Amino acid sequence: MSMNDRPDRIKTVPESGDQLRLLSALVDGELSDSERAEVEARLVSDPAAACRVTHYRAQKAALQALFPKPVTVPSLFVQRRTPWWRVGLAAVACLLVGAAFGLLLGQGRLGAEQPAFAQRADMAYVVYAPEARHPVEVGAADEAQLVAWLSRRLERPLSIPSLREYGFGLVGGRLLPGDAGPAAQFMYQNDGGERLTLYVTVFAKRELSFGTVRRDGRHTIYWASRGMGYALSGRGDEARLRMIAADTCNALGGHAEAWVG
Amino acid sequence: MSFESDLLVWLPQLRRYARALTGDPAWADDLVQDTLECALNKWRWRAHSNLRAWLLTLLRHRFIDQLRARREIAFDDDGAPWQSLAAPAGEVDGLVLEEVQRALYRLPLEQREVLLLIALEELSYQEAASVLKVPVGTVMSRLSRARERMRLLLDEGEGHPAAVPERPSLSVVKK
Repeated sequence: MSMNDRPDRIKTVPESGDQLRLLSALVDGELSDSERAEVEARLVSDPAAACRVTHYRAQKAALQALFPKPVTVPSLFVQRRTPWWRVGLAAVACLLVGAAFGLLLGQGRLGAEQPAFAQRADMAYVVYAPEARHPVEVGAADEAQLVAWLSRRLERPLSIPSLREYGFGLVGGRLLPGDAGPAAQFMYQNDGGERLTLYVTVFAKRELSFGTVRRDGRHTIYWASRGMGYALSGRGDEARLRMIAADTCNALGGHAEAWVG
Repeated sequence: MSFESDLLVWLPQLRRYARALTGDPAWADDLVQDTLECALNKWRWRAHSNLRAWLLTLLRHRFIDQLRARREIAFDDDGAPWQSLAAPAGEVDGLVLEEVQRALYRLPLEQREVLLLIALEELSYQEAASVLKVPVGTVMSRLSRARERMRLLLDEGEGHPAAVPERPSLSVVKK
């Protein structure tokens, strides 16, 4: 360090990845007390590591100087394409949500009986989601044909909601036997290979607000609206799946906001 | 307490992050606007989550979509927005701000966003992981690589900008 006029220049062998992560975590205050004491003790005897920490702290200070927090913000709101009426709408929705929560709390576990199509959707997910070679019958490349075919078989105009927002692209779809006629399954996949399925069938009995089938780490969120039963199945974070289901429900003409829970 | 007042609280940070991420104030304002519109349309299902992390996630998704639409922008494109971004003169803790800015936009996007979330926005590793939808371990290793790369770029930036091995283009990352 004495050879250089820049204190942050380091001439030693690169540190291991683990050591570097510890130095970063020290700068970010993400170490436990004992870890911090350990790393700080090391800095005393290791000038190269100490230089890195100094450099990381300088980077942080420089970034904060480069991008100061804007002071004048409301101008942005004025420029918005959809102005204040939408904010008003949001406030109304807030009241509705409050009311819906009240209703749900009052309802408790009434109506907990799960429709047969939800069980079938869950099972169809189990069967087809792990399928590597033939996850679907008709691929997303023929989306128009897929929609036309399944709409014809279900005798209802179907549409395939986009889940791009959540990183899931359409893989395709297939026809399945349902409990009271044909059913359609659409499969989606994200870049990490995770799959979701949307199961669609005719269900004229009644409107159903969101319910969940939970089994072995899978979640199937089902609802029924306008004579159709829908079920979205996947693994992982249930809250995320519920959010996707709510968006899907709205995209398909339902009213998720009245059912939020 | 209302949702819109909560939104207003985070607006300055959201705008700062968008500016730092894009290097383009106009693009940043569009992003923030799109993000707010989306947030107002969707917030009903997100009542209990971390609002700030959620807003940052929405903003990030929009940014990545728009990047895809613009195809890839290489760091040395004359048309890249950060080429024309003015940097304040001066130094902070021995680092020349202009050089820091140039180095920031030479980082791969994955590294730039994690560095900005943690060093600029001061999110916890856990929060950054939820924004980026990756495990905390991935946040740590990306962050560590970002800082090391910044250090190399800044040390070598005096005369040898091409000496950094990794291709410093801006690649489109997964959501």
